[in-house]
Amino acid sequence: MLLGAWGIALFLAGWEVVGQTGALGMSCPPLSAVLAVLADPARALLFQRALGATLGAVATGYGLGLVFGVVAAAAGHLLPGMRGGLDRTSSVIHAIPSVALAPLLILSLGRQATPAALAGINTYFILYVATSSGLAGTSPVLRDLMSVLGAGRWMRFVRIDLPAALPTLVSGMRMAAPGALIGAIIGEWFGASRGVGVIILNAMQNFQIPLLWSMVLLTVMISLTLFWLLGAMQLGAARRYR
Amino acid sequence: MPTAVRVAGVSKRFRLDGGADFLALDRVSVSIGAGEFVALLGPSGCGKSTLLRLVAALEEPSEGQVTVAGSAPGELARAHRLGVAFQDHALLPWLDVTANIGLPFRVAGRAVDRARVSALIGLVGLAGFEAAKPRQLSGGMRQRVAIARALVLRPDVLLLDEPFGALDAVTRRQMNIELQRIWSEQGTTTLLVTHDVREALFLADRIVVLSPRPGRVARELVVPFARPRDAAVMRTEAFHRLADELTDALGGGA
Ligand SMILES: Nc1ncnc2c1ncn2[C@@H]1O[C@H](COP(=O)(O)OP(=O)(O)OP(=O)(O)O)[C@@H](O)[C@H]1O
Ligand SMILES: [Mg+2]
Repeated sequence: MLLGAWGIALFLAGWEVVGQTGALGMSCPPLSAVLAVLADPARALLFQRALGATLGAVATGYGLGLVFGVVAAAAGHLLPGMRGGLDRTSSVIHAIPSVALAPLLILSLGRQATPAALAGINTYFILYVATSSGLAGTSPVLRDLMSVLGAGRWMRFVRIDLPAALPTLVSGMRMAAPGALIGAIIGEWFGASRGVGVIILNAMQNFQIPLLWSMVLLTVMISLTLFWLLGAMQLGAARRYR
Repeated sequence: MPTAVRVAGVSKRFRLDGGADFLALDRVSVSIGAGEFVALLGPSGCGKSTLLRLVAALEEPSEGQVTVAGSAPGELARAHRLGVAFQDHALLPWLDVTANIGLPFRVAGRAVDRARVSALIGLVGLAGFEAAKPRQLSGGMRQRVAIARALVLRPDVLLLDEPFGALDAVTRRQMNIELQRIWSEQGTTTLLVTHDVREALFLADRIVVLSPRPGRVARELVVPFARPRDAAVMRTEAFHRLADELTDALGGGA
């Protein structure tokens, strides 16, 4: 933990030095310049709106992806006949790169819904896989117990499969968070009206390098925060259900 | 006495990883009358758990037939009338003692009878541990939770797979005496798997000895002691004689 903090501090210090000396040229401004952009009061409103839009898309997409992923995995578990089809559909959707999927989504859902949709698709797949493998991991001893207690499939699902799958499910939720954020930002590149992705795109096209970096930094910070919050949840689930 | 559990000419083969067949039980026939207590005795690996799992419908016989109360063995479980305590206790790690013992009520779709649950907790000597999770209990305490859970619905047939295996001698005797008492009150048809000759003699109406590789019925013995039995019976001459006889049967394959 302490070592990690030192590592990060060292990295940031290195960044500052490289930026100040211009060792990597124009494309790598010093950390202080990037932070100055982030803290610029004139841009505060712009950033707030962008962040609001992006986080909104992430929340919507993540929520939907979570629900659909868990429900699909549960359906595959309870109705083994559906399992193969669900597995294949999910992998096919996952195999299409976001950049290729985005135009299709824009045609079918519109520009404004695309960031949330891409975030959702990224979340869906990870949650589907994590939940499926969690549900399949119930110990055979507990399955025997449910069978002698006269439990049907649904009762077994509710009483043991689902609780036993929770730690895996929550760790899937954690893994999915950065993917959802990336999905939303890529989605914003395809003509959304606002969002972190829109600023990144504009900054790139106008050579506003410190602005570009400030958004990258912001994204990393959001991602780490989500990862950390869900990590705490994961620890809780692991303690309780294992 | 009508037959409650009938195991007729049952063989059980397991397919091993190499592809070879392993004969775990060879034409075993055992029947248990309604309200009878039968102990299954035999050395490790002779197929005791396998036989119990066949009665619990967790395994299918390769040959022969198992019937429980005249029907397929799974019927009783589906009617929530079967109580089982497994060798490895099988407690739900995320539920506390009370919730684990109450689980059969929930699975049967019935309201949990709290009075019954706490009475059983007292009976198995776990008062004060109601809110403990399985991982906070010792091996012997977990086994006692599993026994309480097996009894909670007052099942028609009770299957106990070495339920006292992890207990020290003193606690084991106490649990034997408790089980004896519960059993005399309810007269549940019971199959008890054990290594312990004295436990079998103290608790059972009849003892079936299995010989190993393949598992066969080597010997059957009707326990002559009148009920209700108390601990004093274990100090009688007849008890010692039978215990020695059974120990010989176990060691020498009769
Ligand atoms: N699922 C299985 N696959 C392959 N072999 C099995 C399986 N279950 C049991 N066996 C074998 O069947 C034999 C009997 O096993 P079982 O568990 O019934 O013994 P046991 O009498 O209960 O022994 P213990 O007193 O040690 O519990 C063993 O040799 C075991 O290896
Ligand atoms: Mg066994």
